[in-house]
Amino acid sequence: MKKNKKKLSFRVMWKIHGLIFVSPFLIGFIAFFLVPLFNTIYYSLNNVGVADQGGMTFEWTGIQNYINLFQTEVTTGNEPMLRLFTEENSTMLLSLPLIVVFSLFMALLANQKFKGRAVVRLLFFLPIILGLDVVMDMLTITTGSSAGLDTGSNLLAGSYVTIFLVRTLNVPMRVLYPIMTYVENIFQLISQAGVQTLVYLTALQSISPSLYEVAKMEGATAYETFWKVTIPSIMNITFFVVIYTIVDLFLKSSIAEEAYAFAFTQGKIGVGSALSVIYIFNVILVLAIAALLLRKVVKKNEK
Amino acid sequence: MKNKQYTQVDASLALYLFRKKSKKGASRFFSMVLILGLCFTIIYPILSLVPTIFSTIEDLGNPNVIWIPEEFSAVSFKAAVRLVMPQGIMTMARSVLYAVGIMIVQVFFSAMVGYSLARVKFWGRGLVFAMVILVFLIPRQSLLLAQYISFVHFDVMGLMKLFTTAGEVNLINNPIVLVLLAIFGFGVNQSLFIFLFSQFFKNIPKELEEASLIDGCGFYRTYFRIMLPNAVPIISTVAILSFVWNYGDTYYTNYFNPSGSYMSTLLSSTFISANKDYILNALTTWFDVPVVSDMAFDAVKQAGVLIFLIPLLIVYLIGQRKLVENMENSGLVG
Repeated sequence: MKKNKKKLSFRVMWKIHGLIFVSPFLIGFIAFFLVPLFNTIYYSLNNVGVADQGGMTFEWTGIQNYINLFQTEVTTGNEPMLRLFTEENSTMLLSLPLIVVFSLFMALLANQKFKGRAVVRLLFFLPIILGLDVVMDMLTITTGSSAGLDTGSNLLAGSYVTIFLVRTLNVPMRVLYPIMTYVENIFQLISQAGVQTLVYLTALQSISPSLYEVAKMEGATAYETFWKVTIPSIMNITFFVVIYTIVDLFLKSSIAEEAYAFAFTQGKIGVGSALSVIYIFNVILVLAIAALLLRKVVKKNEK
Repeated sequence: MKNKQYTQVDASLALYLFRKKSKKGASRFFSMVLILGLCFTIIYPILSLVPTIFSTIEDLGNPNVIWIPEEFSAVSFKAAVRLVMPQGIMTMARSVLYAVGIMIVQVFFSAMVGYSLARVKFWGRGLVFAMVILVFLIPRQSLLLAQYISFVHFDVMGLMKLFTTAGEVNLINNPIVLVLLAIFGFGVNQSLFIFLFSQFFKNIPKELEEASLIDGCGFYRTYFRIMLPNAVPIISTVAILSFVWNYGDTYYTNYFNPSGSYMSTLLSSTFISANKDYILNALTTWFDVPVVSDMAFDAVKQAGVLIFLIPLLIVYLIGQRKLVENMENSGLVG
């Protein structure tokens, strides 16, 4: 045995050690990812019941669960399933660019040199904490009274700015309203941008100052510098930020609760699993589209 | 004649300088306004809690009170403590301990996997890396059902038959589940941590490793003596994020250990709107408050959040300054 071990070259031993280091993740991957994934798909194609002995019974039904999911089943809010998906996806796609641009914006602001920068940074990353689901849930008002938190909601509707825009400049309410809702929900937006701002800030700080010097020497304006130096340098990190944001937004979606409700409140494990499978496909689809689009932009900027 | 020219030049120069200065000043002013505005938006929700939390229950909804309550009282706080911390300070201590424990496990195992992925060219490395990314991309909830069921009927390759007669163990509501998940790389956002670690270790110079090898260190010694001490920036970053996310986690704790009475789960389960009447009743009986309005519910709820936030804020205040510096060295960028 000992002889055998000696025969193994140093490199092979090194690789084996490496594998030992990764093995916890590999075991976890099989136990907590691969097996559950196959089980989910398997459950979704079966009518799952509980046997008398406490085990589970399976009855092959093919894609019946999927058909039921979209035709007969409703969410806990009594809405058709398709509507849940369209709603989740559209809100996600709307807030994705907002969060990414906003976090970049905040990082750009925090990257400037000014007095009291430490305090501003302290506040700017506070959303990492305030954005936690629990905290956000708790901070919203339940009773709709003035005693609760208002995130600026009723500040804007009757504000001078709005009145000025509508009465004096004749800005139609139709245009103003969506903008107003976004401004009103600005805290919601900020609360989801904590980690992204942090990542962007570090990316901005890692851009070599000599690049900016060269741009200044060549007589580039601040605007040109931003588009020709800053943006191309942070394109790679934008890819990461976008993917992270999508994943983060999907993590907060309510589809999982629906699946759980199907399985354990209504006892329809098959339908819940079918919902999970479709959810996975949904996520992969969105991520793939985003990755493809971004790749083009990144490549264009690298040239 | 010459003099006049000079003054002309001087004048145009002065004008140019003035323009430049005023332009700079204006943009500076503009960005300062933006920064202040953003800072205000971020802390406004917290600030606006103050008058609610500290006023007496009878005083809630008083239109005269905007920022400073007429009478300070800690009734909301006391109520929140009683509701969210059934065992007093021990509840908070336990939640913090849980978060710290999981954090240590997560950091330890993620660092190992990340190091191996970055520095060791073992067979199928690309595949393992793809797995890490895949786990990060697929939302954890989508596998919740199957994971849950597998924990209800927990059995490792039939080995459990040796210990129990049923051949399986119900691990739901057993804190071991959460530790197991963290050990095997599936804790809160752990694939992200593995990714961060591997990005960091990629950038450590090769010479360091070679030097330690020449000095006669083996694989494990190189890792624990050379690599880990050099990874302090990324370790602290991951540790802070891990602590914050574990302490605030309601997903794993809620589904896999619902009666564990962590502060996060207690908070989210106590203050649901269905519980409103119960809490209002409790308020009247505990503190002898005559009229209890719906606003009292909000006040107690928000006092609860504030208590919950205390450990997070402490960690954040200590760790925040380092966070940016560390991320810069983390190898994620550049």
